[in-house]
Formats: sequence, structure tokens, C-alpha cells
Amino acid sequence: MMRNIILLTGTFFLLLSVSAQQITNTFIFSKMDIAPQHTLWDGNQTMLMGFTPLMGSPIDIPGPTLRYTEGDSVQLQLRNMSQGASHTIHLHGLDVNQWNDGVPHLSWEVGHNETKSYYFKAPHPGTYLYHCHFTSSLHVQAGMYGLLIVDAQNPNETWDGGYSFHKDFAWMTSELDTIWHSDSIINYPHDTTTYMRLLPDYNPQYFLVNGRSEQELIDTNTAAIVAKANEIVLLRIANIGYYGNRFHFPMHLNARIISSDGRPLPSIEITDTLEVLPGERYQVLLQSTIEIMDSISVKYFNLNTQNIENTQMVPVNISGFISSVDDLSEDSHIYPNPTNGKLNLVNVKGKINIYDSFGKLILESTLNTTEENIDVSHLNSGVYFIKTTNKNFKFFKL
Amino acid sequence: MSKLLLSISLGLFLTFNGFSTTVNQSLYIITDSMLTVDSAKVPYITFNETPIYNQRNPIINLIQGDTLDLWVFNTDTVLHEFVIKGVSSVISISANDSTFLQTVFSTKGSYIYHDPSEFPKNTYLGLAGMIVVKNHSFSCFYWNIKEHNSDWNNQLFLGGTVNWSQYDPKYFTINSVSNPNINGDTIARITGQVGETLFLYITNTGQSIHSMHFHGYHATIKYSSKSPAHLNREKDTFPIYPMETLILKIVPDKEGEYPLHDHNLVAVTGNNMYPNGMFTTILIHP
Repeated sequence: MMRNIILLTGTFFLLLSVSAQQITNTFIFSKMDIAPQHTLWDGNQTMLMGFTPLMGSPIDIPGPTLRYTEGDSVQLQLRNMSQGASHTIHLHGLDVNQWNDGVPHLSWEVGHNETKSYYFKAPHPGTYLYHCHFTSSLHVQAGMYGLLIVDAQNPNETWDGGYSFHKDFAWMTSELDTIWHSDSIINYPHDTTTYMRLLPDYNPQYFLVNGRSEQELIDTNTAAIVAKANEIVLLRIANIGYYGNRFHFPMHLNARIISSDGRPLPSIEITDTLEVLPGERYQVLLQSTIEIMDSISVKYFNLNTQNIENTQMVPVNISGFISSVDDLSEDSHIYPNPTNGKLNLVNVKGKINIYDSFGKLILESTLNTTEENIDVSHLNSGVYFIKTTNKNFKFFKL
Repeated sequence: MSKLLLSISLGLFLTFNGFSTTVNQSLYIITDSMLTVDSAKVPYITFNETPIYNQRNPIINLIQGDTLDLWVFNTDTVLHEFVIKGVSSVISISANDSTFLQTVFSTKGSYIYHDPSEFPKNTYLGLAGMIVVKNHSFSCFYWNIKEHNSDWNNQLFLGGTVNWSQYDPKYFTINSVSNPNINGDTIARITGQVGETLFLYITNTGQSIHSMHFHGYHATIKYSSKSPAHLNREKDTFPIYPMETLILKIVPDKEGEYPLHDHNLVAVTGNNMYPNGMFTTILIHP
């Protein structure tokens, strides 16, 4: 899976309101480096302004991935600890109301040392992004962005009645111009009287997939697609950069474009090439019937000249071990959900692990029959994740 | 004054509600300057509805089936050309001469008229506008989007050359103005009510690719000249390539004021000043 996913980041707990409506609460911080400390692929270091899941976490790009389930009511809290500029969170593509849209002059901003909350529902499964909309041209380039994923109720389905998949990967593309990250630009004196800001010319030197580039993409498996032959992979792509991206998929991956901007396409597009422009998101199904070791190329083209200025190669490793597509047709599910005692698992065999929202392993078990139950009554209220050999679930403990 | 009569039939003549008619329009090619968001004057040349200069090219609105009787007057001292992209042949117009074009628009859509001579030079310098052909009476809004580099305009007007492979625009406009002035343009600034059907007609007569993002709402692609297969895609971000036209349908589901802007965030600046570029808002009443 993608690097640096922090499921429902930060302090995460389940609240029951008077109407018993579940509210998923996420807490993130906005911060700024006080000196260059983010290391780029060539060893150079640069300053970032960004979002972190914990106060003590170093800033990374992209920021923590926010992940919710279709229909969730979400309270997203932002604490601004960036020592200067105000910030916001724009929930790009979620079509939230004006008050929660994160555009400072049309709603509000979060000043230094303030904590404020955005409230929204996650109605459409798909791939979205979030970013600061305060002096957005600068703050986005500075690093204030991340992915936001809305899973369908069935987490292995793209949307209700959509496409099944075995595993998903998410790529967020961007660029980095170190001039914009120099102290005099990124650490500008905060002026509460104007949103206007003089910015440098944009000439990026680094071209990123999930914040990494060049050899890092190979060494760290930051974005590598690793799957088995016949497995169906859902690749989520979001471009938060200021360049266009042209993806080229190896022929054997049989790429199918199925949705964009959180909505299914009227008809799928079968292609080996996909262009994703700034702000766009696409979801692509990949499935190889044979073993391959290859790469997906990502070309970064200048929107003014249309010249390709950089190409990044993301590894694809499809092993020859044949997975049965029929696995997906099994009706594996859990119930009741939410639960306050027993949790029944149907058509789930083999080893299972249960994790809490911080990724801590809470319980291990091995299931041998088509339907078994496990006792979760001793768990604290909150959200938990079940990882099995072929499918993942999420449940709420009341 | 020479007179060239062209009668162009665009396939089967279809009328809309029986109201199709002949529309008489004049376009005057006039050289002057464009006033930028930071009050700079950039050499510019546009088509104008009257002999009085305006830095915004007119949007010619037609009903499906209309006949457009169009006179184009070249008031410049050099030869220009005229074409309706994908519709008519290229016509040369000598200095201080004029031409006449008669076209039947039986196919709805959004078209670009421009000067293709020395392409993209004269189109880039301002000679490019929009013809809209529709068959409905919903509220419509129009964006002719474009970007500019004042140094290049100066150089081209002096007869110099530029290297298009190094294009680096500094001003980004919708209907020839930038934020905060776009919201003052009633044909650009989208307004409406919850549940109302709204249409946005976009042409990109610049040389850059733009990626227009909607806050608050998804819109549906009803026409894309570059990618017809994208019909009915529902999106919040819409790439539009140079010389492409796009028609979007928006049916707002809630009230509010939301930004619409280029998500190439360099293009929301004007001469490097944020947020003086391609940024406007949609205003939806209850």
C-alpha cells in the first residue's frame, strides 16, 4: 500500500451524538520547518510547510492521507502551529458547503495557535485531495496538501455496484521548486490585512510521486505497484502540482480508466496513456495475467510550452503466483457493524489481525470455518480494522 | 473595398423552435492595448463590434439554425486573416479592406473565430473570440480564457520573433480581465439559483493548457471539441487545451459563493502577484 498512510489520522475516536449519528473525528496539525530538514532524493535539504498527524511528527509531502467511508460524518480539526501565516483546509472535490470549503475570504481561516473544525459528509466514494487555500499558490507549493480517500461501504468495491478490486495504491504527484521553499519566501511575515503576495517565477527542479523521485521511488517502494498475476489493482491518481502529468501504463497491465473526480465515467476508457492535469483525480484498474517487472512512466509537462521536462519511473512488480479471481466473488462480510459484543465473520478463513485506528495490533486469530464469531466486547469504543489474507474490513465498536 | 461572399452550409438545416433567423454582425480589427490587472498597458489587437476599441472580443450568440451574416473590417495597416475554426475557410483581408462571410449554423456548439495568420502570433496577440450556437433558453455564461506575456507582446508588435517553446505568460485572463475584475463581468461571473440549470461556454484562445476547478459543485461536460468522448463526464476540474472549446452544465444543489479558478496555481497570479489571475466565484442564491 501507499507510503505514509495514516488512516483517519491523529486523535481518532467515535462519538455518539444525541441522535446516535456517528461522527468520525480527525485531528491534524499545520506546521512549518524552522530550517531546511526535508531531504530530497539527491541529498539536498529544503524547508516545508505542511500538515502532520501529530504535533511531533516531521513534515512530509504529501501530508497524512485522510481516509473515510462513504456516508461518514466527519469532524476534521486543524490546529495551526506554523508560527505565522493562517491556514485552511480546502476539501477539494467533496463539494462541501461554503462555510466548510476552506477558502479564507469566503469563510474563515485558522490563525496561529488556533484550533478550528471542518464538518462534512463523505457522500461519494472516490479519490480526492485536500490542501491549504490560504495564499494557495504558495502554501500548496510549500507542501500543504494530501490525499483524501472515501471508501465505499464495501471496501473492496470502487462504489456500490462498481468494480471489485483486491488492493489499492494511491499516487499524488507534484513538483518542488526550492526557490519557493527558501526562508524569505516560505517564512514570509504574516500580514493580516491582505491576501496578496508577490511570488517568484515557478521553475521546479524536483518532480514527485508521493513526495519522492528518481532512485527513491525504486529504493523505498514509496509508490511501487506490487501484486500477483490476475489480481485487480485500483490505482488512485491525484495531481496537486502545477504541471501536467502523462502516465504510460505497460501494455500487460490492461489499464482501464473507470472514474474521475469522485464520479464514475459514463463509459470506461481502455488506454495505455492517461493525462492528469492539476487538480484532477483519476481511478484506474490494472490487471496483469502474467508476471511482469516493469515501470509506469510519469511525464511532467509544462502547461505553457507543453514540453516534457521530467520523467519519473514507478516500479511495477507483478508476481507469477496466480491468484484466483473467484476470490472476489465470495460473499465475505462481517456483521453486526457497529457491534458491542460479538462480531460474525462470514467466508473469512485463515489468519486475521485486528488493528486499532493508530495501526496497533489488538487481536490475532485464525478462522477455520465459513462463519465464525469473535468476541470484541473488551475493546474500547472506536473504529477498528480487520486484515485478512484477501480482504480488509472496518468495524465500529460501540 | 472588395467583397467576398461565402455561403457555407453546415449539413442539414435544422431550426430551433422556429426562431432561427439571420443575425447581422460586424467585427472591426483594431490595434490598441490591453489594460492589465496591475494597470500596465500591453500592446493588443482585438475584433470589435463597432469601430470603437474594446479589449474583449465579442461573443456572438446564435440559435441553432441561425444564419450569420458577418462583415469583418480590417482597420489595421497590415494584412490579417479570418477563420471560424472547423467551419469556414481562411479568408485574407488586406489592410483597410473588409470581407463578408455568410454561414448557416445548424450544429449547436461553441466555436472559435480568429486570425490564423502567422499562427499562433495574431491569435495570441488578441484576435480570437467565441461563437456560441445553442438550442435552449437556460442561463448561460461565457469565458474566453487566455494568458499573456507583456514582453512578448511588445516584441511581436515591433516585428520581432519569440521562441514559443519557451512561452512563459505572466497575466491570466477570462474575457480579457483578471481577478478581482472577473466578478464584475456579468457574462463571466456565474450566478443562479439552487436547482437552476446553468451553462458555461469556455474557449481557450491562449497558448497554455488550463485546468479549471470548481469549488462547491461538480459540472457535466456537454461538449468538448478536443475530446468528444468525454461527453457527460461529471467532474470538478476541467482541463482545456489551446484552441479547445468546452460546454459545461451546472445544476447547483446548494446556495453559496464558491471559487472557480485555474488549478495551475501559477495562473491565479498576475505578474507574479497572488491572487490576480484566473479566479472568479460562482454565486448561487436559495
